[in-house]
Amino acid sequence: MLTVDTRSGVPIYQQIVEQVKRSTALGVLQSGEQLPTVKQLALDLTVNPNTVARAYRDLERDGVIETAPGRGSFVKSDGATAPARLAANDVTRAAVEGAVREAKAMGLTRNDLRAVIDTVLNRWFPEEK
Amino acid sequence: MSINISHLTKKYGAFAAVDDLSIEIPSGTIFGLLGPNGAGKTTTFKCMLDLARTTSGRVTYDGKPLAPALFEGIAYVPERSVLYDWMNVAEHVEMNRRSFKRFKPARALELLDTFGIDLRKRTRSLSKGMKTAVAVAIAFAREADVLVLDEPTSGLDPVNQRHVLNLTINEAARGCTVIFSSHQIGQVERTAERIAVIDRGRLVLEGAVDDLKADRKIVEAVFPDEKYSLDGLAGDRRIARVDRSGRIVRLMVLDGAPEFAHRLESAGGAGVRIVDLNLEDIFLYAVAPASANTDVVEGS
Repeated sequence: MLTVDTRSGVPIYQQIVEQVKRSTALGVLQSGEQLPTVKQLALDLTVNPNTVARAYRDLERDGVIETAPGRGSFVKSDGATAPARLAANDVTRAAVEGAVREAKAMGLTRNDLRAVIDTVLNRWFPEEK
Repeated sequence: MSINISHLTKKYGAFAAVDDLSIEIPSGTIFGLLGPNGAGKTTTFKCMLDLARTTSGRVTYDGKPLAPALFEGIAYVPERSVLYDWMNVAEHVEMNRRSFKRFKPARALELLDTFGIDLRKRTRSLSKGMKTAVAVAIAFAREADVLVLDEPTSGLDPVNQRHVLNLTINEAARGCTVIFSSHQIGQVERTAERIAVIDRGRLVLEGAVDDLKADRKIVEAVFPDEKYSLDGLAGDRRIARVDRSGRIVRLMVLDGAPEFAHRLESAGGAGVRIVDLNLEDIFLYAVAPASANTDVVEGS
């Protein structure tokens, strides 16, 4: 399910965090679903176990997963949709952040950008126009 | 078992192959040693194992110098295999069984099978990659406390390279301390928690892989003309180097990339962007000689 790209400048633990969040947001990983153990995922991806452990700690901190000692790590099940929603927010914010930074670097003003975003929003949410 | 390399120097005549090298490797971790060809990686390993006489400095294991009592727990896979041409693979397994009390012959046979090696073959007739695999299989059956691996994947196909890396991860997971060198930087990035880069015998970079990638960035800006000033940034120790090319400035920063992006904008820079670096980029920057347009602000 997960992959690691060492050509990317993004640290491996962050790649794992982002992919688990995305999978949760898309429902590929569902509430209550168990994640592989740290060691199993480390061997599946051929990465250092501490890297996986760090990713799991970050996911716990961000409220996406919970770890029951001795039982393993699970996608959080309280309120069912809350972790998915949280994950979706995180993934989206990162994407928008990148787009806005790029736009600013190319010289667009806040108003230029607002117009662009409005156009995009109108296209994807026509009913709420 | 923790390993401490302290001010290690190895001279051949006037030439220092290893020059005042200090590295600390915590117990149970995987440590990657990177460097260009001839940087001193193999010499470092040889000094760690008393296979080369150290000129000065010392290497200790759990605080103690290398002594015969420790040999049993230290396994070394040299860059060039030290297998005996006239013996077959099974005889090498037997030789190790007789030499090392902790050696697990069944485990060695299992690993050799994983690598697809015929036990009856004389090692003379094995390919370079297969020789590496035999040496690795035997070392990993030693139940060692310390594994010293010099290019442990060289000549292996991608499937067997993965085997070696996963076995290394397994060894560390049971508490073994691993130090390994490789030119395959992607492999080092996957498996090592900390790395050191050496160049011409000297340590040029050391740190946790994730931190290095998270902190070190290129901050790039384009100025309207060539008459811009970066005086505001002078003396900031977080800037490792400054590359100037006409109107374009690229700062290699050790930390605080967003802040530098902001400061370049305040200085009149446009098109400011932060570029992520992968470990290969970080390695190349660490060993690249400075060009005429480069100000190396700090040695690292």
